[in-house]
Amino acid sequence: MYIHQHICISPQHTSGNIDLDAVEASKEGKLVALEPKLEGVPPGMIRRMSKAVRMGLGAGLPVVTNNEVDGIIIGTANGGMEDCIKFLNQIIDYDEGLLTPGNFVQSTPNAIAGQLSLITKNKNYNATHVHLGLAFENALIDAKMLLEENAEAKYLIGGVDEISTYNYNIDYLAGWYNKTIESKKLYEAALPATIAGEGAAMFLVSKRPENAIAKIAAIETVHTTDLGVVQKRFEKFLSQQKVDPSDTIFISGENGDSRLNHFYNACEELVDDLPTVRYKHLTGEYPTVSSFAVWLAGYAVEHQSLPSHFYKNDIRSRQVEKVLLYNNYHGSQHSFIFITKPK
Amino acid sequence: MSRVVVTGIGIITAIGDSVAHNRKSLMQGLSGIGHAVHFQSKYTGVLPFAEIKYSTPHLAEKLQIHQSGATRTDLVALHAFREAIKDANLSGEILMSANTALIGASTVGGMCLTDEMYADANHTGDQGSEYLGSYPNNACTMFLQAQYNIGGIVNTFNTACSSSANSIMYGARLIKNGLAKRVIAGGVDTLAKFTVNGFNSLMILSNEPCRLFDAARKGLNLGEAAAFVVLEKEEDATGKTIYAEVKGYGNSNDAYHPSSTSPEADGPFLCMQRALKAAGLNPGDIDFINAHGTATENNDETESIAMKRLFETLPKFASTKSYTGHTLGAAGAVEAVYGILNLHHQEVYPSLNFKDAIEATKLIPVQEYTTKNLNYVMSNSFGFGGNCSSLVLGKI
Repeated sequence: MYIHQHICISPQHTSGNIDLDAVEASKEGKLVALEPKLEGVPPGMIRRMSKAVRMGLGAGLPVVTNNEVDGIIIGTANGGMEDCIKFLNQIIDYDEGLLTPGNFVQSTPNAIAGQLSLITKNKNYNATHVHLGLAFENALIDAKMLLEENAEAKYLIGGVDEISTYNYNIDYLAGWYNKTIESKKLYEAALPATIAGEGAAMFLVSKRPENAIAKIAAIETVHTTDLGVVQKRFEKFLSQQKVDPSDTIFISGENGDSRLNHFYNACEELVDDLPTVRYKHLTGEYPTVSSFAVWLAGYAVEHQSLPSHFYKNDIRSRQVEKVLLYNNYHGSQHSFIFITKPK
Repeated sequence: MSRVVVTGIGIITAIGDSVAHNRKSLMQGLSGIGHAVHFQSKYTGVLPFAEIKYSTPHLAEKLQIHQSGATRTDLVALHAFREAIKDANLSGEILMSANTALIGASTVGGMCLTDEMYADANHTGDQGSEYLGSYPNNACTMFLQAQYNIGGIVNTFNTACSSSANSIMYGARLIKNGLAKRVIAGGVDTLAKFTVNGFNSLMILSNEPCRLFDAARKGLNLGEAAAFVVLEKEEDATGKTIYAEVKGYGNSNDAYHPSSTSPEADGPFLCMQRALKAAGLNPGDIDFINAHGTATENNDETESIAMKRLFETLPKFASTKSYTGHTLGAAGAVEAVYGILNLHHQEVYPSLNFKDAIEATKLIPVQEYTTKNLNYVMSNSFGFGGNCSSLVLGKI
């Protein structure tokens, strides 16, 4: 499966004029996405949209407007959570009185894929995967299968999640976030928590290698809280890929949370001859953040280098031909992805 | 290409807590729509619901689940899941294999706990509730995964009311693509203030038992359910009961409006057409359709238009939502299980409460239990966001 176009909206300067040297810092434990002006959507529609839908359209529309894709496949844990809880709040605050349906209709996680279809009049395959920390990975698996079934096709795949007041509160109460942690010192915080983030990354994929940015060569997912299982799966995954220290980098999903470091450290040790790249000081943590990592991998093979703030160790590859990614969400949902330069 | 077959089924709805109990109710025309007893809402005594006949503590006791944070959705899902894996004789070891996938679906997830979620999401107390990890759409899938340590691909769909049709479709495709050897696929939703108030605000809840495809239909009744099917390759299913084949599937988007279907019904038409194409069948091969049939003004008319567009001679059709209510994220799987029962027992279950056909389309659903030669059954599921899916199931 080859990536032909990729667009990323994030808390950093990743869309429009891309500048990965200028790093935006977190505020109160959150990294909030910078939204580009949304073209091609009536202002009245934009006003009613949640940030998740706006980001999804902002990253997705430029891809599908010029390409009639054979399907739209979105991974999102929550979709428009803000609308969802706005409606829920109305239910309680007005004691199940007469409510307006606007927030209810916008609240469904499939609103992003639905709006992309609606605006571009795309009646093809349309799916929304909501499997939290592996929602985007399942969108990738879905597209990979679709391309096996239909070799001539091309698909839009993406990962989108927003920080809403409400999912932030729930995850904060559950102990996943700490407002005192700063993105600049994310990896040194040594606290059992991290910072929140959000974003949208969209990809045009097909089976054609010509003029592609990168190839998604392999993907593997596993659910476990057992470090041994993660190590075994990663070793097996590594044995199936051609990883060469001279041209491969390792992108780690390390997010500073002291409870998760052992997973990242163990995987890093298995590839200790590779440069280790980290990115969550730019994105914060969110369920579909691996879509940012895939965008970054594509950027790295396209540009052959990354600014030094990404690197954890002193190892550098002569060139970036291949990228190995590992991420885990809340210590129970793990993914390994292998991305290469198209041949 | 080897066939993907169904080797296990499990279901819990308002008309029964097992496959056998559901079939008995369907054969006798016994609807589960009535007064809710366990669901607490301002609308409890006002609107009819299709409620599962157990309280949440009773379900927990029945399933021997004592951990904190387990929601009604989790428990209902586990009930159907256990029946399905037992039916297909999947051992604990097999479930832990990297070749065993679990694909769930839900629209409400843990939001059945509307009041607890209100408190947690608005941070009204100093501490959170025991349900902080239980709200996401995929919480019930994670709950099942953790119960059995399922080792393969695990996923959850939310394409609104077509969610679990997509989970079965994805499951069948995982097997065909060699990414899993066996898949447990289905979905779950339970009654929630969130959906009751949501559908009520859209003014599509009926104050009487729903009248599918009837000229005087007044809207839908909400229900709760879970259903799972076990899918395997035919050659791996030797010695097992094979209920049916997953013959084809189609997915489309209507691309018209977030909460209603286009007058031409392109989305429903296209998903049915694609399901037939994937199955390698002609419209004339379909013997029976379990329609989406929600009894809303919009759905029943547009679905009728879509069926008439595709089928020169319309096969017999009905909708089982007159028994189970609309079970949202579970509906596709519930109705797939009923389609499997249609084929396995060569019988058709009638729609209830039908009197007069819709003026514009004049379609009349099956109204009596009948035995019938059935080779292929189609099951439709359409949802908000324009998401449409159709499954074609075949006799073995």
